[in-house]
Amino acid sequence: MSVMARIVKVAAGFVAGWQVLELLGEGGFLLRPPGAASEADLLARCVRCGKCALACPYHVVKAAPSVMGEHAGTPCIEAREGACRLCEDFPCVAACPTGALRDIAERSDVRMGVAVIDRELCIALRGMRCEVCYRVCPLKDEAVTIKYSLREGDDRHAVFEPVIHSDACVGCGLCVERCVISDPAVAIRIEPAGASPHA
Amino acid sequence: MELSRRSFIKASAVSLAVAAAGALAGCAPQGGAPGGVTAAKSGTFKSVCRFCGTGCGVICEVKNGRLASVLGDPDNASNKGLNCIKGLHLAKILYGEDRLTKPLVRDDATTKGTTGGLREATWEEALDLVADKLKTAWEADKKRIAFWGSGQQPITEGYALAKFWKAGLLSNNIDPNARLCMASAVVAFMNVFQTDEPPGSYSDLDEADVFVTWGANMAEAHPVLYSRLTARKIAGAGVQHFDITTLKTRTSASADKVLVFRPGTDLAIANAISNYLIQNDLYDKQFVADHVQFKVGAENIGHAYEDGYDGSDVGKTVNDVTPVDFEAFAARMSTYTLDYAAELSGVAAADIEELARLFADPDKRIMSLWTMGVNQHTRGTWMNHCIYNIHLLAGKICKPGSGPFSLTGQPTACGTAREVGLFAHRLPADLVVNNPQHRRYTEAVWDLPSGYLDAIQDPGFHTIRIFREMSKGNIDFLWTASNNWAASLPNLTRFLGKSPEYQGVFKTFIVVNEVYPTLSTQYADVVLPAAMWVEREGQFGNAERRTAVFEKAVDPPGEAKWDVWIFLQVARRVLDGTQIGGAPAFDHLFGFIWDKDKDDFSGDDREINRRLFEEYRIFSNPSLKPAAAAINSNEGGQFDAGLKMENKQLAPYDVYLEHNGLTWPVREVNGTWLPTTWRFADGSQAEGFDEVGIAAYGKKGLAGNISFYKSAGQKPSAVFRPYEAPAEQPDDQYPFWLCTGRLLEQWHTGSMTRRVPELDRALPEALLDMNPEDCQRLGIKDGDLVRVTSRHGQFEIKASTARRTEPGPGTCFAPFFVEENLVNLAVEDYYCPLSKEPDYKKTCVRIEKA
Repeated sequence: MSVMARIVKVAAGFVAGWQVLELLGEGGFLLRPPGAASEADLLARCVRCGKCALACPYHVVKAAPSVMGEHAGTPCIEAREGACRLCEDFPCVAACPTGALRDIAERSDVRMGVAVIDRELCIALRGMRCEVCYRVCPLKDEAVTIKYSLREGDDRHAVFEPVIHSDACVGCGLCVERCVISDPAVAIRIEPAGASPHA
Repeated sequence: MELSRRSFIKASAVSLAVAAAGALAGCAPQGGAPGGVTAAKSGTFKSVCRFCGTGCGVICEVKNGRLASVLGDPDNASNKGLNCIKGLHLAKILYGEDRLTKPLVRDDATTKGTTGGLREATWEEALDLVADKLKTAWEADKKRIAFWGSGQQPITEGYALAKFWKAGLLSNNIDPNARLCMASAVVAFMNVFQTDEPPGSYSDLDEADVFVTWGANMAEAHPVLYSRLTARKIAGAGVQHFDITTLKTRTSASADKVLVFRPGTDLAIANAISNYLIQNDLYDKQFVADHVQFKVGAENIGHAYEDGYDGSDVGKTVNDVTPVDFEAFAARMSTYTLDYAAELSGVAAADIEELARLFADPDKRIMSLWTMGVNQHTRGTWMNHCIYNIHLLAGKICKPGSGPFSLTGQPTACGTAREVGLFAHRLPADLVVNNPQHRRYTEAVWDLPSGYLDAIQDPGFHTIRIFREMSKGNIDFLWTASNNWAASLPNLTRFLGKSPEYQGVFKTFIVVNEVYPTLSTQYADVVLPAAMWVEREGQFGNAERRTAVFEKAVDPPGEAKWDVWIFLQVARRVLDGTQIGGAPAFDHLFGFIWDKDKDDFSGDDREINRRLFEEYRIFSNPSLKPAAAAINSNEGGQFDAGLKMENKQLAPYDVYLEHNGLTWPVREVNGTWLPTTWRFADGSQAEGFDEVGIAAYGKKGLAGNISFYKSAGQKPSAVFRPYEAPAEQPDDQYPFWLCTGRLLEQWHTGSMTRRVPELDRALPEALLDMNPEDCQRLGIKDGDLVRVTSRHGQFEIKASTARRTEPGPGTCFAPFFVEENLVNLAVEDYYCPLSKEPDYKKTCVRIEKA
């Protein structure tokens, strides 16, 4: 179930409002568009005007729904539904009138979060030739690389393990959008920058 | 609460995720019910992946008559339970929402090219209509009918079809989509060895010291095989991988050395390596003395710009070769110095020399692997030759870990298209129509009167010729199966009638056997719903000569039917009134599998497959039929020599049911059927060497304990082939090279994989990979929609600088799986003059912001 769908379920009214954040993901993390300096900074500066959402050519920047309390109307991205595509000219940042989104000159300035692979769910770690997250990464070979090792108990096959480099990963979430595993959960997620790259 | 929720997820995560994806390992096959008329409701069935030529073994798990999951077969030595994500999601290819389940008929040809215009019909109506149109066209002019088949048609299907078209209709206008991918490899195999398909096998991957990929993005196009290559690199000390390519790919990403060359100049690089071995006296002299004959071939052969190229003065010379001595061969090769190759190709001379020195090292085992970059090449046959030249000079062939290995892109391009003879010039088992002995042999197997097949001694139209003729209104009836020609052919602007001078597609009566609506069904007059993959029993033959059976696991949906049933229903109608040797032609050709009273098969899927295969097997087991055996051994002495048909020997059908496939030739030794891993290499048959073949036809004691017993004079040919420029070169108007190809998540034109939600999610769009400098110069940003225009047509697509592939300046790449961005509208249809395989890798285009 996507975060948005879960929020809708929440809105149906059987969970107290404080639990909303918990349902957003590990530690109540909301994925923000590029250029948010911190959660507090964004909440303080954002006037909920929606201009960043209008500017997004991929229509992935959305306003958080009203059940989100103080977050309502602030911009967020549901990566599984549609990730940030790291436009070269960052129209969302350019559109922000208050500097809630700011200081992005190039992709490497972005710090939306960091991707974390669920090692128990990732099929690449079992030797399946997947590595979708690696191939879709706009910063491949920097933010994510492949570590090659022999498959355990099989001298004829290798494991192609995607490895996230937290210093280079900007948290755009395209890997989350494209991951082929969804049940019981997506095998990769975005966590706040600074978190450990491995679950 | 949070803790308990998380721990629950962790505990069940692995099993759920893997089961959902279909990859539960350790599930032993149970055999299930034999492939009968009605599939068992539940059980497990052995199968082979439907996609690339690797041939991964899989197990189908059926629950309540529905394919629930497909798991990698842990008992299959070549994939050991592994799959790529396409194979992992195989179960879902059957269940797209828009499966075709009823015959469809188009009443108004002006609706062609649209999504409408087709109505449902009964099988009786559809079959009568198809048969009537075919019979009328056939009786009027055999040159105006054509069938376009596939390297995805299982072996017995292809065999039955070839028999119907060649012996029943006496037409050679039949060609497979393998013409678009493997024809250059085939022609070179026949020119060099006089027998098709690689001498080595996947086992070479486990022992090589050096891998060379020539125009092959194996990491994406052969995912599990590339895992095997990578395992060898990790496990073996100092194992190296050279990637020789026109643009960096995900394969280059893990190669030790990447040689990026200007399109078309790979011939110069390969020749420079051969020349280096010769000039420095580093070739294997004993091997060359014992095993190699030398030739030079026709040169300055131009390009197939005009429809009449094949029959032109130069077009008629392309197959000419002249035997020469080693000195003359060396003299021709001497032009190709390292510096000359470097100047032409843009690759550093030192890099070419480094690879040449490895070929010169007698202790290095080297495996060359190639696919479409070499084959889809206006000098594709020549480039195949150039690779063989190196391996023959270096003596690196037919030895474990050493050999040139031509990869295939479809599950049974080898097993069906090549082996049963679906080509316009071929008969089953490497036989060709223009050889009288081959025709006599085929007549003997098929019980035809001697001379009956003389009517088809001239080859028919190859693929591009079929569609060029159709576009001009010269084909009245076209039938296609297991392909999507309206998306996969080059130059679709011409072939889909989008150019005013070529409107033939709207006039030809087109029949398409399909499982889903595709671009091809939009041009069909009749669409016949077909059984897909494990909805019938079948067999694939993969790139390493491995023949494997896949069992029927579920019934086809609705009224969908097995292609063989469709072919025979039409054959019965069309051949009505035709006699062979005084008997009704249909009964003569297909009476052994058909019940006239029931107007249906005279057995279940398993039994029909068995009977078809057992007849087909006579081609490679002449002793099963005295008349065939007599021609094979040239008993009457009326031919120059015997045929050695056993060089491709296949085992009885039931033997394959007990194995995960067997690599031919398969030999019966003390009552056991043993495969061959290394053809022409002497040694124990039980260990995979060609002991039985060499004992029958070869010589012992030659260099490397090798004996090329099928080659003329028992010696393969090294043929000098020069560099000649591609058909188009970048200029001011069309300054970019456009290369097209496949990516891991999607397969071919996407008609199956795009219907799998997980794969569609993983790669939902086609992008044009461009060099960032080019983008900057043209004012194109990542994600911008661009228009790509060639001399042939144009398409629109989003540009990408995300480096899925990494084209150098002046080069771009696009995959061909998305019909909304139909790249083949712009791709050239110029083909290799020898193989007639078109070049999808070197169209010159301009790129503008749309």
